[in-house]
Amino acid sequence: MKNKFISLFLIVILLLLPSFFPNDESRFDEWSKVLLCPVCQGETIYDSPSSYADDMRSVLLTQIEDNLSDDEIYNFWVSRYGEKIITNPINNNKELVIIPLFIITSFVALFVRKINAKK
Amino acid sequence: MIYNTGIILSWITFICLFLLFFSKKNKNIQVLVRLNLFFHFILFFLLEIGLFLDDFSLYYIANYSASSTPPLFKFASLWGSLDGSILLWNLCLSIFMYFYLKNFKQEDSNLDIKIFSTITIFFVGYTVFSSSPFAGCTQALEVGCSESTLVPFQNLIASEFGRGPNPLLQNHILMAIHPPMLYIGYVGMVLPFVAATSRLIINSEKNEWILVAEKTTYIPWLFLTIGITLGAAWSYEVLGWGGYWAWDPVENVSFIPWLLSTAFLHSSKIQRNQNTLLNWNYILVGLMFLSTIFGTFVTRSGVLISVHAFSNGNIGTYLLFGLFFFSMFFVFVGSKNSRYFQTSKPIENWFGKTGFFVFNNIVLFSIAVVVFIGTIFPLFYETLYNRQITIGRAYYDVLSGPLLLILIVLMIFSASLPIKNLNLNKWINQNSFLINLSLAFSIFILINFKNTYQLIATTVFSFLLIVVMVLSIYKTINKRKYSISFLTGQIAHLGIGILALGIIFNVTQSFSNEIEISSFEEFEFNNNVYFVYDIIEESKPEKNILKLPISNEEQTKYTSLNIYRNSSQQAISTPAVFRNPLNDIYITIKFIDEGSYKLIVRNNYGILIMWIGLFISSISFVPRLIKNEE
Repeated sequence: MKNKFISLFLIVILLLLPSFFPNDESRFDEWSKVLLCPVCQGETIYDSPSSYADDMRSVLLTQIEDNLSDDEIYNFWVSRYGEKIITNPINNNKELVIIPLFIITSFVALFVRKINAKK
Repeated sequence: MIYNTGIILSWITFICLFLLFFSKKNKNIQVLVRLNLFFHFILFFLLEIGLFLDDFSLYYIANYSASSTPPLFKFASLWGSLDGSILLWNLCLSIFMYFYLKNFKQEDSNLDIKIFSTITIFFVGYTVFSSSPFAGCTQALEVGCSESTLVPFQNLIASEFGRGPNPLLQNHILMAIHPPMLYIGYVGMVLPFVAATSRLIINSEKNEWILVAEKTTYIPWLFLTIGITLGAAWSYEVLGWGGYWAWDPVENVSFIPWLLSTAFLHSSKIQRNQNTLLNWNYILVGLMFLSTIFGTFVTRSGVLISVHAFSNGNIGTYLLFGLFFFSMFFVFVGSKNSRYFQTSKPIENWFGKTGFFVFNNIVLFSIAVVVFIGTIFPLFYETLYNRQITIGRAYYDVLSGPLLLILIVLMIFSASLPIKNLNLNKWINQNSFLINLSLAFSIFILINFKNTYQLIATTVFSFLLIVVMVLSIYKTINKRKYSISFLTGQIAHLGIGILALGIIFNVTQSFSNEIEISSFEEFEFNNNVYFVYDIIEESKPEKNILKLPISNEEQTKYTSLNIYRNSSQQAISTPAVFRNPLNDIYITIKFIDEGSYKLIVRNNYGILIMWIGLFISSISFVPRLIKNEE
């Protein structure tokens, strides 16, 4: 019993950690991990060492410094490069998550029903 | 010379395989399988000789090699593009056919060799009819070659200069090792497929097939694991973006067979012990093989673009036909055994040993589904809606992240699983010390890091997994008699625990900075001072290198830009990596302007931890291969 109290106490401390040491990723980092470098092979502008990505980053930095909203930044890049510039389309296209989830759930349900002993 | 010999020998090999297909006598089969292997070795060496002699009358060599290419990369150019890599593929198939004949051939039937030769005919047929690395050049360009012929004894035109391999593929020694390893693993998935289907047609309704299918999966699984690991290492050391896994289509299609075969190696065990999941195991064996053909289709037909994709006009249709044909065969054999599959016992104890193995299969298969859908989504959207979308990291993080966490939790229980249902309360009481240790350790570690709940959960469970496994391995090897396969599993799980810890730290803690600096200046990063020297120019036959020495207090490393001749691609940057136990300082040079540079300095956490984990998992299988127990 004593051990369980210790565990509980430690878990509470762990759960409080994020409020003391929050993840303070800057908006610039967040966005540069989202935008694809169109001349590179599947790398974001955060990852890519190319000079093209470099130029894109400086444009993005100006946008962040000018305090543009997420929608404004999104529209700016999509209108110029098309939808494929955004590497996390799941934010605006929920079906990209729902379809796989639906398929997995159906698979699990079917699988369990097929092999379960209690029919 | 090489051109005529290569084309004619390909034809002879093709005919030899047909003879093999129709052979009835065991003696003929023994000879023909060896002959086919011999011919494939000759073809392999013939193309290597051509590459080393710079025979630019061959289309392939003119376009993917150059006189100035260093020997190691000339050697590796054989698999540097599509046609040559199919040759390596066929060589692997032939080696496996021989390996199968020696070790697993059925005694009373030749059907397995018939199936094996059909698959080989299919792939060799591609090099004979459609596109061969021995094709001769009929229309030379200033650099490289534009038209080719497959008909022997033609007048060929040799181009004066070869174009050389893709710059990315000649920047690191791993390029010579990673693709063959991966190919052995990838092609090897044919073994369990042949073993299972042939046995189910003849000795149907017996459990022998599962034993052979499991044994034949060890080698491909091992090589696939090593190949994927080396690929990650290559990407980290060469591509200069500080990453090791990009969810790139080609990475994905090598990951899918890995996930499926890992699931199979678990579920085959419970079929042998409990006579359950018969049909499921058959499905897994089929999908393991079919997913390799599908993967080749996706990445080699030009339907998707990625860092690895090289395509050629007609291979897509050819592979699609093969995929259809082998799927039909697989379904046919399955339906023939439907009565046998119905004898599969249902699962009684969902929270006992069998149940946990089933959960493992459900999770691994679900991850495979997520990866599969993510790979084909862009294709799907473009065809149906004419929309181009990019499925990036976020999709895989959201969907496979939680599944991977469940997998880690499941592995914790692998140390001691009762046949009957697990009593969780009792388990917690027994392991309360280890649980508290993990919680305390996690607090200690995480106190200085940027925290998210995803990081906390992964750290706690990975650490618990590591301590439970270490204890379990220690207990196991102290017993006088123990099961090798159990020990193997525990070591593999330990490796995964370490890997998970490395990955989560890498993903959540790494950061980067851009620094503009001139020669003989210093900069500070992450409480360390780095001194930048002057640029050194080096000229090699195939490339110019601009090297910038950077040193901290202990050592000097170079970050460089490689500019390849005969290549339209931009310069490739090679990083300087200062490695510490917990993090790598990873510096790439970006922009050089008369003595001033722009450096990207990354602090990559957990890289060494990841490599250690992957290394442990990769070698975990070695004891089992050496000591083959039933």
